[in-house]
Amino acid sequence: MKALALAAVNIRRLLRDRSNIFFVFVFPMLLILVLGVSFGGGTDPRFGIVVGDGVGPLGEDLLATLETIPDVEVEQVAREGDLVTAIERGQLQAGVVVPADYDATILDGRDVEIRYVARQDELGLQLGETVRAAVAEQGQRLRAARFYATETGGSLDEGLSGADATAALIVPVEVVTTTAGEAIFPASLGRFDLGASSMLLLFIFLTSMTSAVALIETRRLGLSRRMLATPTSSGTIVTGEALGRFGVAMVQGLFIMLGSLILFGVDWGEPLGSAALLVSFALVGAGAGMLLGSVLRTEQQAIGLGLLVGLGLGALGGCMVPLELFSPAMRTVAHLTPHAWALDGYAELVRHDGSLADVLPYVGILLGYAALLLGLAAWRLRRSITG
Amino acid sequence: MRAALLIAGKDLRQRLRDRSALMIAFLVPLGLAFIFNLTLGGLSSGGTVFTYAVVDAYRSEVSGIFTEQVLPLVEEGGGIDLVEAASEAEARRIAANGEVDAAFVVPTGFGDAVQAGGSAEIRVIGDVDEPIATQVARSIANSFAADLNAVRLSVATAAGGDPGSLPPAELDAMIARAAEVANPVVVADVTTTKKELDATTYYAAGMAVFFLFFTVQFGVSSLLEERKEGTLARLLAAPIGRTSILGGKLLTSFALGVLSMTTLIVATSLLIGARWGSPLGVAILVLAGVLSAIGVMALVATLAKTSEQAGNWQAIIAVVLGMLGGVFFPVSLAPGILGKLSLLTPQAWFMRGLSDLAGGGAWTVVVPAALAMLLFAAVTGGIAMLRLGRMARP
Repeated sequence: MKALALAAVNIRRLLRDRSNIFFVFVFPMLLILVLGVSFGGGTDPRFGIVVGDGVGPLGEDLLATLETIPDVEVEQVAREGDLVTAIERGQLQAGVVVPADYDATILDGRDVEIRYVARQDELGLQLGETVRAAVAEQGQRLRAARFYATETGGSLDEGLSGADATAALIVPVEVVTTTAGEAIFPASLGRFDLGASSMLLLFIFLTSMTSAVALIETRRLGLSRRMLATPTSSGTIVTGEALGRFGVAMVQGLFIMLGSLILFGVDWGEPLGSAALLVSFALVGAGAGMLLGSVLRTEQQAIGLGLLVGLGLGALGGCMVPLELFSPAMRTVAHLTPHAWALDGYAELVRHDGSLADVLPYVGILLGYAALLLGLAAWRLRRSITG
Repeated sequence: MRAALLIAGKDLRQRLRDRSALMIAFLVPLGLAFIFNLTLGGLSSGGTVFTYAVVDAYRSEVSGIFTEQVLPLVEEGGGIDLVEAASEAEARRIAANGEVDAAFVVPTGFGDAVQAGGSAEIRVIGDVDEPIATQVARSIANSFAADLNAVRLSVATAAGGDPGSLPPAELDAMIARAAEVANPVVVADVTTTKKELDATTYYAAGMAVFFLFFTVQFGVSSLLEERKEGTLARLLAAPIGRTSILGGKLLTSFALGVLSMTTLIVATSLLIGARWGSPLGVAILVLAGVLSAIGVMALVATLAKTSEQAGNWQAIIAVVLGMLGGVFFPVSLAPGILGKLSLLTPQAWFMRGLSDLAGGGAWTVVVPAALAMLLFAAVTGGIAMLRLGRMARP
């Protein structure tokens, strides 16, 4: 009972500080929002298109073809200079410049040049193929009209309408595309889903690490010793501190999960499995925070080391860049962190529609981390307040 | 002036002895740059070569054009690598397990079907996790198919929609002539330079400028601390001008900021191979960056009543500006409003200046970015100066 009161004090101390409210509740949501808005659309390459004034129907056809290239996002850019700058900076991956006299030149029977702008790297070369395909697609009609004009002596305009009338009659050679394998990131994945589970884990752990500051303060001010002077056992104090840290992690975790569910419609998968992962990871955070708070001496050390370990393990564990993009060797290293296991668990739930039973192995590993950290922390803390 | 230097000297010694400054200014940013480089340093924005399997078991004249001329030509240009696969099943298997990014399959009887003017298809099997590689493979096949279709359409159009009515010899001659007609639209390649930092330098610079905003607060905010501890009153009682005290505090921030940045630049260059670019350009960016950080943080400090409050607000401002400024992930490259919002932070300009340097430019390319940061410094610092005088009261 006393342990619970102690835990409640810990949570109240956290909530009373205004800046904590920001870092614990507001900032994670802000990050989920920013990550979702800027990168949630996936990593589709982005094309910029500069169209000269007065481009006619032929140019419009080319634009329409470019705009329907799958898995590529297309936007119009005002000037070629802006296009080049955006590509140099990486805001766009490639671009196409269609001259103003596109239609006029073709109808005049001459060749017209469109410019494909990209960096001189693999991606630039590869994306160039999609532009060439769009041009070749358009070229069918234009070539047929040209051929018609030279064969029959008719005009290009007649050739174009002739080609349009004939197009339905010919049997085209087709390209059939299928995909193989199971998608790591299924198409149903919402734009905020991936960022939400990463930020949840990053911040639960980070908050736990920085909550070590409160524990150090408690020790430094001699609060723990005074509590010992009352009929309160060291076991109760240690349990209370652990429960307090766990409570803080749970409050934050539930807030982020429910908040992102309501605000951004984030899919957290089956509720039971999701809750089991949250509870086990909150225990890991509680253990790590308490260990840091019982080992270090000053608050400044705790802030610095807490940031380093919290952000560092988060990055290593795949909270900043998805584990799937890591090299195989780094992925193995990443699984030294509890974050990677929890992320795997959430991936199982959200991307593969897993249930509680599917995530139990991950929950088990997390509980193992929690037991180890909590055990070490309890031992150190008891020594530091009784010693 | 002497008094200001003395105060700054005392503060600096105090801060360097105190572990917190050491952590925030040097160890934490360096440690994080190291970890980020380890985990994320290998990611490249320039893409990797795509590997495609080719299955053309029943080679015909037409399929040979695709698998022996078109594809090798693309491979020669760079960007793709080709490997042969025995069968469609084999191709599907290696596309599914990620061994290749996609596969081209030219089915049995393709050549005959094309020559007879019947229906024919090329199959592209893509690794589901490589949408861009799949799309590029589809495009290459589409270009080839469009070439074949252009000839069919040309002949049919010229023959008034009924090429079957022509005598075979005439039809063959017509097909040959149609194949010679060039597409009037020609694609000219224009290549640009790359003004983007490699991942290692990006994280080194991001962490350095992120923690810079925490580092400079040690100088300015100590004024609030001195007031709380009562030492400010004693300083004011001494024959020292108020400007000297303020100057000393600002000088402390400036020295700590420059020292931190310089150390981090040298350390990340030597330890993890970060490439910061032209030293003069980097020096200008660092100076402008430190000034803008002092300006912003001093302004926040003057709005606070206690040093705790100042510390809290400064942390929030530094973290939000850092995130928006793209020190953790490149927000300024994001489409739409967010990318523009990002440029309202000095951090984004610092990163942009470095990116421009990475494009291989001389130091002059950093001038716009440096001016932007100096504008931040002037505006925020100017308001802070007006308010700082009030702070230097007992």
